Amino acid sequence: MKKKVLLVDDSTTVILMEKMILAKGPYEVVVARDGVEGVAKAKSEQPAVILLDVMMPNMDGLTACAAIRSDPATAHIPIVMVTTRGEEQNIETAFRNGCTDYVTKPINGLELLTKLNNILEMNLVGAGAR
Amino acid sequence: MKPNETHRSYIEKVATDNREYVQALLDENQRLHEQLADLQADRARTTQMLEQALEERRAFSARYVEVEQQNTNLANLYVASYQLHGTLDRERVLTAIKEIIINLIGSEELAIWEVDRDFGAMVLIDSFGIDKGRWAALPLDTPGVIGIVAKTGEAYTGHNTKVHVAGREERLTACIPLKLDGEVIAVIALFSLLAQKERLESIDYELFDLLGSHGATALYCTRDGVAMEALQ
Repeated sequence: MKKKVLLVDDSTTVILMEKMILAKGPYEVVVARDGVEGVAKAKSEQPAVILLDVMMPNMDGLTACAAIRSDPATAHIPIVMVTTRGEEQNIETAFRNGCTDYVTKPINGLELLTKLNNILEMNLVGAGAR
Repeated sequence: MKPNETHRSYIEKVATDNREYVQALLDENQRLHEQLADLQADRARTTQMLEQALEERRAFSARYVEVEQQNTNLANLYVASYQLHGTLDRERVLTAIKEIIINLIGSEELAIWEVDRDFGAMVLIDSFGIDKGRWAALPLDTPGVIGIVAKTGEAYTGHNTKVHVAGREERLTACIPLKLDGEVIAVIALFSLLAQKERLESIDYELFDLLGSHGATALYCTRDGVAMEALQ
């Protein structure tokens, strides 16, 4: 069964790249072009996982991440931040805002797929335990 | 039978039984030794097979990582090419070039100049993360690496030992000419890499090549008149 992945990024280059990487796995892709649309689609689409860019117009990824976490309807959805800034401080901020994991740009396909697999497997185990 | 004979006979029987018992033990010991040797040989073979299997698994994993890296590289090239040729709109071509550099190569300090031979200058047409005023326009014969790249059409990727970056070019990481029919029509400069990216990778050089040729074509097609002609 395909897992729904919500890609939130204002860059068509990144969206295209992520789509190509995810095309190799059992994923169904939904796209949002900024933080506001991302928060809305997280609620309406109920994806299995969200790939969230940090720098975006209207609402940045960190704010969107916190908004998704604070809504009971979306709080459970794992969020992977996609960031150009790999510095420790930025990563800490992302985790403080509730992200599950992060990948840095340029995106490495194997790293992204491995992280998504791990997160989705952990979620299955978690759901089983519940 | 006399008592002595009875005793002797009994002792002989005991001695015979004892010899047979000892012989049986020796035989059993020999059999167990042989069995142990067989088992040890089996264990050595199994260990060897296990080591071989582990080695194969390591080789397979390494190959898998290599293939996945190649997949990512191909995806990078496909995305870059697709983005460059997906439009005749100048702004969108420039955005595509910037996005390729930021997201696929990994630099947030870049400049794109277009060569204006009538004015003998390079004019900054787009940038990201740099002081625009400092780099707005450069004479074609500007001293330094950027000028050399514009003049010779040879890319600078930090490995050129003949050229030396200095002054305001000190942080120059790469400088790529965009060429059409051998003529430099634009120049891209990268002034740093993202913090998590230590060095340029082989795919980056391929992306530079792609930008140098496809980027030039895409940019040229957006010039006044050319785009209209293509649309007609």
